[in-house]
Amino acid sequence: MDINLMIEIMPLLVKAAWVTIDISVRALFFGFFIASALVALRSSRTPPVRWLARSYISVVRGTPYFVQLLLVFYGGPAVGLRLDPFTCGVVVGAFNIGAYMSEAIRGAIISVDSGQNEASRSLGFGRFATLQHIVLPQAAGLMIRSVGVLAIILVKNSSLVSIISVVELTYQAQRLIGSTYKPLEVFSLSALMYIVIIYAVMGIVELLYRRATRYTYL
Amino acid sequence: MEFDFSPVITYFPTLVKGIGATLLIGLVVGIMSIIGGQIVAVITLYTKKVVNWPLRFFIWLFMTTPLLLQLYFLYFGLGQWILIPAIVVGVLGLGFHYMAYNADIFIATIKSVSSGQYEASRSLGFGHLATLFYIILPQALYRAIPQLGNNMIIMVKDISVLSAIGIAELVYLSQYAISVTFRPFEFYITIAVIYYLINILMETGQSWVERRAATRR
Amino acid sequence: MTQATNTPMVELKGVKKRFGDLEVLKGIDLKVDRGKIISIIGPSGSGKSTLLRSINNLEVIDEGSILLDGVQVNRPDLKGFAFERHINHIRQNMGMVFQHFNLFPHLSTLENVTLAPRKLKGMDARSARELGMELLERVGLVDKASVYPSSLSGGQKQRVAIARALAMRPKVMLFDEATSALDPELVEEVNQVMKSLAEEHMTMLIVTHEMGFARDVSDWAMFMDGGVVVEENTPDYLFSHPDEERTRHFLRKHLGSQAQPQGQS
Repeated sequence: MDINLMIEIMPLLVKAAWVTIDISVRALFFGFFIASALVALRSSRTPPVRWLARSYISVVRGTPYFVQLLLVFYGGPAVGLRLDPFTCGVVVGAFNIGAYMSEAIRGAIISVDSGQNEASRSLGFGRFATLQHIVLPQAAGLMIRSVGVLAIILVKNSSLVSIISVVELTYQAQRLIGSTYKPLEVFSLSALMYIVIIYAVMGIVELLYRRATRYTYL
Repeated sequence: MEFDFSPVITYFPTLVKGIGATLLIGLVVGIMSIIGGQIVAVITLYTKKVVNWPLRFFIWLFMTTPLLLQLYFLYFGLGQWILIPAIVVGVLGLGFHYMAYNADIFIATIKSVSSGQYEASRSLGFGHLATLFYIILPQALYRAIPQLGNNMIIMVKDISVLSAIGIAELVYLSQYAISVTFRPFEFYITIAVIYYLINILMETGQSWVERRAATRR
Repeated sequence: MTQATNTPMVELKGVKKRFGDLEVLKGIDLKVDRGKIISIIGPSGSGKSTLLRSINNLEVIDEGSILLDGVQVNRPDLKGFAFERHINHIRQNMGMVFQHFNLFPHLSTLENVTLAPRKLKGMDARSARELGMELLERVGLVDKASVYPSSLSGGQKQRVAIARALAMRPKVMLFDEATSALDPELVEEVNQVMKSLAEEHMTMLIVTHEMGFARDVSDWAMFMDGGVVVEENTPDYLFSHPDEERTRHFLRKHLGSQAQPQGQS
């Protein structure tokens, strides 16, 4: 192992790691809103709306993220959608993870005992108030855990935007392997950074989980 | 904006070739990762620390880093020392990646088989290894089927990533057609549709297998 | 091979077993003659299940010796692979029936019964099938031959488990609370199968909570408590006027309510 080289390329990889974090955090943020919207649409009283939301989720989950990325980046201009690589990564990432996340959120909501819903409605709470005050607080723990799993997938998926030349961690690693001819050094260091990011995500998820489940005695 | 799908029709034979390559890679990687995953899980669970710690490390490493980074490392890294065709690197890379994920599942399902099963088998006179092969592993496999199915469905989608190291599967071959016809939108939409159909087929197959396996759990 | 007929089928001499600091068997002596049926009763934690499991070497005893038809089961002198071979051979001559059935869920009912004769005795598929069907017939489950255990009731599962144990033509059958996990209405069907075995003079050791059944079926009854045999006698004597106060106390508690579906040991 060439330690000097590793020290030398460190700043480049750290910078690239920030791009990975940046793109993932933004995609997660927007993805959460897309997911919430999808959950709402799926419980709509109008069947076509429900059907549309379901189809969207099914198509996004049924096709590769990589192909979605290529379609929007290279095919987008044909329908007047011109995005710079970074924005494209955020947008496709958000719409992709949003579909998965909507399923995770719905699953967590469904996991709450239906008696809770009935009890709340019988007290006179409306649909939304029941969701807000009764169901969501109980679903929060499971929701945080499964969104956490998705956030990790999002970080790993972000490596694919290297294909549309966003200079994130994997792009930089590939370039450095090509220029230094030291694959093991470059791989170890970039793998380490992914591991640090992923463990940081896991740590944050665990903290949030503990906060959310403070009052539940399970 | 106007769409013209006629180039897609023209290059349809190319796409069919790509679908064939994708499915073949999926089959090889699927078999390799399921059988390999079982072997890795058994070695991890039933050997001394010197043997199973490195294995646990590799399972962990494959699961905490992105597939594309692993592929680049194997492709550009190994390429420096030995000459291996990209297709071998791709199949091995994808194979090891999913072998790690499957091993992780098998480790859990093997552990989940109750000790009563082990005792019942031993009380009939089966030895430790025979019990493992006839009783524990088959049950662990049946229990793993839902998660294995999910992994394999994700794996087939990940075959598209192999185009990044120049393997002539569906996406790569289409990119060639795109470079000639300048119709990326039409081709990528077509690929998405093809993948979606493959995905539906696999999910149907998965639920069929799951229903059959459920009676044996 | 079969020894001279006066050799006891099962013999225990000064068997001791400890779990950590707790001595669960404090020197047990027991002789079971060919074709005899012994019932072992006693409260939870008395060591009766441990005793039965020790005979099958599922628990390894610390002291004493266990003999099956004159052949020593526990062999502290044998290590590793040699002991494996020895114990696998011994176990083929013993049938064990568990409280929780432990049927193999990935195999059909028939395959559960035929697996051991096929793989351990090298029996061909056809003879194994014949044997399996014959045994399923005995336990009244021929019509369930091709279904998987998940669709059987508890009583049916236990009957299959008995057939599975019988498939190796064992010299002795060990029943470890075979009906304790069953719903009360399913107990009788399993008892019937065990009674039919008794009528054929199968040597049996039965750990049970069912006093009535024990009294009916066995030739000899043992009451265990705290890791020792407190009292043993013919079932008629033991159940009607036991000598020991501990036995009387235990029987008073259990004879009134014979069905103990949740009984554990």
